[in-house]
Amino acid sequence: MKPGLKVGLIGGGTMGTAHAEAYRVIENAELVAVADLRPERAQAIATKTGATVRTASEIIADPNIDVIDVCLPTYLHRDYVVAAAEAGKHVFCEKPMARSLKEAEEMKAACEKAGVKLGIGHVVRFFPEYVRAYEKVKAGAVGDVAVVRCTRGGFPLPTAWQDWYANYELSGGLVLDMIIHDFDFLRWLLGPAERVFAKSTRGREYNRLEYALVTIKFKSGAIAHVEGSWVNGGGFHTRFEIAGSNGLIDYDSRKANPITVTVASKDGVPGVPVPASAWVENPYTTEIRNFINVLDGKEGTIVDGNEGYESLRIALAALESIETGKPVSL
Amino acid sequence: MKVGMISFAHLHATSYASALLEMPWVEFVGIYDEDNDRAKEWASKLGVKHFEKLDDLLKTDIEAVIICSTNADHCHYTVKAAEAGKHVLVEKPIATTIEDANKMIETCKKNNVKLQIAFPVRYMPAVIEAKNIVQSGKLGRILAIKGTNHGSMPGGWFTEKDKAGGGAVMDHTVHVVDIIRWMFGFEFKEVYAEYDRLIHDIETDDCGLLTMELTNNVFATLDTSWNRPTAYPTWGDVTMTIVGTNGVLELDAYGQKFDIYNNDVKKAQWEHWGGNSDYFLVKDFLEACKNDTPVKVTGEDGLRALEVALAAYESGKKKMPVKIEDIR
Ligand SMILES: NC(=O)c1ccc[n+]([C@@H]2O[C@H](COP(=O)([O-])OP(=O)(O)OC[C@H]3O[C@@H](n4cnc5c(N)ncnc54)[C@H](O)[C@@H]3O)[C@@H](O)[C@H]2O)c1
Repeated sequence: MKPGLKVGLIGGGTMGTAHAEAYRVIENAELVAVADLRPERAQAIATKTGATVRTASEIIADPNIDVIDVCLPTYLHRDYVVAAAEAGKHVFCEKPMARSLKEAEEMKAACEKAGVKLGIGHVVRFFPEYVRAYEKVKAGAVGDVAVVRCTRGGFPLPTAWQDWYANYELSGGLVLDMIIHDFDFLRWLLGPAERVFAKSTRGREYNRLEYALVTIKFKSGAIAHVEGSWVNGGGFHTRFEIAGSNGLIDYDSRKANPITVTVASKDGVPGVPVPASAWVENPYTTEIRNFINVLDGKEGTIVDGNEGYESLRIALAALESIETGKPVSL
Repeated sequence: MKVGMISFAHLHATSYASALLEMPWVEFVGIYDEDNDRAKEWASKLGVKHFEKLDDLLKTDIEAVIICSTNADHCHYTVKAAEAGKHVLVEKPIATTIEDANKMIETCKKNNVKLQIAFPVRYMPAVIEAKNIVQSGKLGRILAIKGTNHGSMPGGWFTEKDKAGGGAVMDHTVHVVDIIRWMFGFEFKEVYAEYDRLIHDIETDDCGLLTMELTNNVFATLDTSWNRPTAYPTWGDVTMTIVGTNGVLELDAYGQKFDIYNNDVKKAQWEHWGGNSDYFLVKDFLEACKNDTPVKVTGEDGLRALEVALAAYESGKKKMPVKIEDIR
């Protein structure tokens, strides 16, 4: 058994699997239990990590567990985070924090009341390109920021357990689920937002094909544009352009590939080039290490419930604007 | 065919002038400019006559004029030229107000002369090819369009509201709006805009972000910002991401380029080799005059694009979306 904090994971789907991988390399935490409604998912993680398969309520009730990691579909975050907090556990919860502001408030309140820490998985703040851009901007690389453009997506809607992403009531669709990453990055970079105006294909097109364009005016004066796409446009990619009074930063993940592999298939037909990335560390690992280190007194700050809440506000304002056709002021 | 030019206030004039000189069937007669020194300077550089009075140029037997004055002067010069029976190619935007634009259109009609707006982007091979692909139906039904027309801050009268009619939004809304109307046949219904003066110490806006509702249930955004720093490899861009039910087309109109790294310049430079659209624009206009065929970009096209820019300014004041029909 590893020394350090004992972690119970609830939800062993795509993100749960990624988090489980992170605990394998984080020195001061150990994944001891995993729960998933689909036993085979929990079992797969248990086999890899040495954790025990248990039910969510067993994990929450276990006095030996210090941290609960919630990787459930968004609409379930509130119930499990609140229960974990009430049991006195620190909680790490995937983004978006919740499906509504009311749920998010209840999560914050429960954690405050119990005196436990709540971390929200805004992992983009741990992606090296975003971290470096943030640092460069703060060091004056572009002067005062004027206009920021962000892009995320280019692949069809993710398939998941019970196809919950396709259900707007459960997932909030593209805007709440995916480009909240960019809202959070922008807020981190630029401070509080003032106004949001957004358009999306929601209601115009069947919801598996979703495309959204969001404009945010920040209190700093800066204007941001966020493009999100669940339309197949050549595979997942991200972009950002940060233009300021004295310079400009331009990033396109499609142009930042250190490796492109093209292998002919057996019958001699030329293969499709597949870009490969080479990370010093998987950002999901960095993110969870940060949370564990804060609990352990080794690092100062996390992306906490207040941060998760503020980014959620922008996403929900964008959804409101899409529905009403009017700007929403924050 | 004899052609004259009115005002070199807008630097595109030099590019149109070179185009005139390249066409053997065209005689570039001379230049009038409200700034007489500028007229003299360019006339001698280009080897053409300079006219101290507009009427003297318009009295000659030129058949057409190209007007590159400040935006606010477009109307005055167009009306004068039309009344003298000359066809008009006028720099974009058509004018700074709807009244002026209407007056230009009506005067040209009444005097039976052609009026074309200088939208050279329609003549870029990459843009024409994108239009062909769109019209092939390959992308399926169009859902949304994301456009940019970034630029560097042009300075001079471009930043004076009474001469330019606005800043970055006025300068950089009309090209992409025109391309969208031409490429898809969509019209613009409603505009929301965030714009501001965030970069340069100037009188007008230098950053703009428009969100637009179009016919066919399509929406679009357009970034008009003058936010390319001097260190940027080129002046700006025209890009479009066209999202359809069946796929996505990404257009970078100036994407046919290579990079230059030169020790004296001390910054990377992009060299575009995708064709001189200004030349094709001027040639097309003069051919329409010669053959008496309809011009490709009409005064109404110019007006429709101007309306979007004006609606954007109105929206910025109200902090609300503005319907195009409400500003007509
Ligand atoms: N940070 C990121 O980059 C990122 C990426 C994708 C998803 N997410 C977020 O992570 C969360 C999970 O998304 P996902 O893609 O992993 O979804 P998923 O559908 O792949 O996984 C969810 C899992 O929860 C299980 N489950 C559902 N109800 C349960 C319950 N009551 N008890 C136990 N298990 C239950 C399901 O069986 C499934 O395995 C969502 O909030 C999503 O928005 C974040």
